[in-house]
Amino acid sequence: MEQKRSVRTGNRLYKFINNENTVGNVFAFPFIFGFICFSLIPMLTSFRYAFTDYSLGTKTAEFAGLKNFIMLLQDEVFLKSLRVTLRYVLISVPMKLIFALLVAFLLTRKSKMVTLYRSLYYIPSLVGGSVAVALVWKQLFARKGLINMILQAQGLKGVNWFGDQKLALLPLILMSVWQFGSSMIIFAAGLKEIPAVYYEAAQIDGANGFQRFFKITLPCLSPIILYNLVMQTISAFMAFTQAFIITEGGPNNSTMLYALYVYNQAFKYNNMGYACAMSWFMLLVMGAITLIIFKTSKFWVFNESDQ
Amino acid sequence: MKKKLLSIALSMAMVISLTACGSAQEAAPAPAETAAAETTVAAEEPAAEETVAAEPEEDITLTMAWWGSQTRHDRTIEVIEMYEKEHPNVHIEYEYYSFDDYFTKLKTLVASDQVWDVFQLGGNFPQYMDKICFLNEFMASGIVDTTNISDANLKITQDTEGNQIGLSNGLNTYGIAYDPAMFEEAGAKLPADNWTWDDYYEAAETIHEKLGIYGSSAFGSSDFIAGCSTYVAEHGTVGQYSFFNIDLSGMGFDDAQMLTPYIQMRADMIKSGSYPDAGAEAEITDIENDFLVTGEAAMTWVAVNQFPTIYDDCQADGRTLALAPIPKVTADGPDGAVIQSSQMLCVSQDSQHKEAAAAFISWFQNSTDCNNVLQGERGIPVNSEVRAALSATATPGQQIMYDYVDKVSGFKMPDKYNVLSPDGQDQVVDNYRNYIQQVAFGEISAEEAADKTYADATAIFN
Amino acid sequence: MSEKRVIRKVIYHIFVLAFGFVMIYPVLWMISGSFKDNSEILRGTLALIPETLKATNYSTGWKGFGGTTFATFFKNSFIVTIIATFGTVLSSLLVSYALSRIQFKGRKFWFTCMIATMMLPGQVIMIPQYLIYYRLGLVPGYVPLILPYFCGQAFFIYQMMQFMKGIPRELDEAATIDGCSKYSIFTHIIIPLMKPSIVTTVIIQFYWKWDDYMGPLLYLSRPQSYTVSIAIKLFADASSITDYGAMFAMSTLSLIPVFLIFLFFNRYLVDGIRNTGIKG
Repeated sequence: MEQKRSVRTGNRLYKFINNENTVGNVFAFPFIFGFICFSLIPMLTSFRYAFTDYSLGTKTAEFAGLKNFIMLLQDEVFLKSLRVTLRYVLISVPMKLIFALLVAFLLTRKSKMVTLYRSLYYIPSLVGGSVAVALVWKQLFARKGLINMILQAQGLKGVNWFGDQKLALLPLILMSVWQFGSSMIIFAAGLKEIPAVYYEAAQIDGANGFQRFFKITLPCLSPIILYNLVMQTISAFMAFTQAFIITEGGPNNSTMLYALYVYNQAFKYNNMGYACAMSWFMLLVMGAITLIIFKTSKFWVFNESDQ
Repeated sequence: MKKKLLSIALSMAMVISLTACGSAQEAAPAPAETAAAETTVAAEEPAAEETVAAEPEEDITLTMAWWGSQTRHDRTIEVIEMYEKEHPNVHIEYEYYSFDDYFTKLKTLVASDQVWDVFQLGGNFPQYMDKICFLNEFMASGIVDTTNISDANLKITQDTEGNQIGLSNGLNTYGIAYDPAMFEEAGAKLPADNWTWDDYYEAAETIHEKLGIYGSSAFGSSDFIAGCSTYVAEHGTVGQYSFFNIDLSGMGFDDAQMLTPYIQMRADMIKSGSYPDAGAEAEITDIENDFLVTGEAAMTWVAVNQFPTIYDDCQADGRTLALAPIPKVTADGPDGAVIQSSQMLCVSQDSQHKEAAAAFISWFQNSTDCNNVLQGERGIPVNSEVRAALSATATPGQQIMYDYVDKVSGFKMPDKYNVLSPDGQDQVVDNYRNYIQQVAFGEISAEEAADKTYADATAIFN
Repeated sequence: MSEKRVIRKVIYHIFVLAFGFVMIYPVLWMISGSFKDNSEILRGTLALIPETLKATNYSTGWKGFGGTTFATFFKNSFIVTIIATFGTVLSSLLVSYALSRIQFKGRKFWFTCMIATMMLPGQVIMIPQYLIYYRLGLVPGYVPLILPYFCGQAFFIYQMMQFMKGIPRELDEAATIDGCSKYSIFTHIIIPLMKPSIVTTVIIQFYWKWDDYMGPLLYLSRPQSYTVSIAIKLFADASSITDYGAMFAMSTLSLIPVFLIFLFFNRYLVDGIRNTGIKG
């Protein structure tokens, strides 16, 4: 701004265009535009609803202060759903990521079969939300389903999966792990990016497979691992479909994932204000967890482009 | 700077949401006046259909939506095309969805004041009350023809003040479908018309002991609607108690412990294995794979319009089903069952053509040609002539259903009753089902479950 | 020695194949279900071979509803999905470049906003969002289904950012010394090196958009404009009878395009692995 007038306008324009702030805003424009137009207002609206008794279908919403938030902390079902959701996230995310990483790693061999294998392993992710697959999954774990038949063939007792409060979440977790395809694909792309020279150098130094995996593959892949960890954690918090189609939250709310409870409150019980309060409360929980992941990532994420 | 931006955005959001409230209130009253003006013209001639056809009216486009399955979609579309042929100036744009999707979509349309001219609603209509245009004036003017619809059948889709919310697509009521052969094999007493919950419990336990199958199957929320809440109405004298009071402004009984025996019975049955637990219940995805149909149970709850389907399914396996009324508290006490509406068609407040929409609804329920195509797929027709025409070709399963509905209609009803449920009942039902499980798991007692259910229900009105 | 290697190889393949079979068993069951009778599906037998082969599921399913066939639904799905996927790749590349490579004011702020947009359940922002498009006069129509995808998708922006982190800064610096602007660095250096990330984005976004049904449900109204994802749900109805056979048949068909896209782009993730890496 304080530049001398004598600078040629062309030069000034050039400088302006190539200024970091300009470039940043130009490239980020699609997001900024979309965010302000289509995300910000809905988010703020839902924030405002959190302090009202708004329900879909009515036009008036009365200000209710912190009533919704106070109710939240006294709501048995919500407190249970919070515990269930945390359990779901803590178990399903690590399992899914480890599984996706191992499969991606095993399937990097250069062989024609690899394409076939990877397709096989990706298929489950292509059918995720379909009603048909949820039905199948339900029947696998039914009292006379395949899983119990296998257990009985081993001389074990069959399990009433969806009738047991302690076990009912497990089929849902397995279903989410089963759909590890998109994480796997992203890992595979990440593995492809690791410079071959690293491995060549390690080979010369006589490193074995395990050493190569832990000393080269994991560190080089760490930004992608961080990415998958953050994304899978958020999406596990948002998990909805499986519980909605398979268990409807039962038995005794032991599979009442938080997103399902939000849906029930917003659409089934018609308490939109309450659902919004719950969502914003959980946004804080998720935000805190994500922040912790980001803060700790400094210790284990290896960044090629940072200095 | 950041703060400033935020405050601008905030105030923007406020303005937008404020206008949302404003526009809704302005928009509503205007079309009602035009409708009232037109009714005077229409009233001169009694036959509604001819009126519409005779007047060289401008072209009208109506929107209409429903939920259902492929059969319903196909049949309804065929009927719409039939109507368009009869009324060349009316064009109907239709949409159809599955149940959950329908209500998601409807809620967005309510928010934007664009609800379809003609739309389908079930027992959950109270939350859409603001969007429903009552049919009373169209009935008075003859646009909606109710000559062949009995008062009782009109009443099932009226609110507590007698406003006609819509015309029912079909009568419905709950019953218990059972397999008499299984009862006999186990040596259990067959259900009589005045059987009691004790009889029901005995039979279920005996069947479970002797045959190793469930005495009764479960079907979702029916256990509350047809079971627990009916149980309350079966106490005292006819009409003395009901779960919610007549005008849906509070409870219809004072003593929460009235529910305890029922809850205890249900939990005991789950524990003993004569009623499915939550895990087994989750395996029932459809009335067609209900445990009664698969041979794993001897009874099940049904909304009677589902009876013909399972009757036919079992017939194919060489079994013959029968239909019994809901058990009672005492053999000579009041009956709990009442006739309800399966769903109804309503006219929307947002409609620009309320009269044409009402005329279509009238035709939909009253035309024999139309209902010959629909084949009672939405329930038993409310129009007596249409019903007579359909029952002439009834299958054995349908015939049992017709007879059963006639039987229930003949039960002694209270002078005033309300078959509707208040907004918020769904949450009570879901919690109730959890409490039953908690009792079965031994976490709480039946008394506590009764208190909690009562408290949840009372909370609706606070 | 070589015998041992052969055995190890065989074990590897057997293991991977057997496990793969377990993985796709539910999908195979769905496909076999598309040839089964409704009652056989509901009985829940786990066999993959239908008792009686029933191919009519495909014809009854394809017929659709009241004269609108699945040909229409597939056409609509293709239009929406292809445009949205293209938009996602384009806009996410731009935005991720800004957020990961350019030190501009508000970078952290926008990044936080982006992550936050993923943390509110769709159920609570759906209707306010709908009202915006409605007031803009874009409902019913395809615009609300497509436009947001040209504004960047958080999931993919962040993914691309992480991949860009793997591209050494020295490349940018060298290019700057050669007189390249930030713009030409983007087009000449970043984009060519982002191929694996772009490919994953295409695969995943194509499937997500194809499968998305909440968007089409809210923003489309005429049955002629429905996409496959809503159409499949029209077979199911809680209150009456569901034709599972026809539903499975159409679910199977709807799987084909996403699978083909995957097959086609997957080779970019396998071919020449470890050879194209950037020399660090």
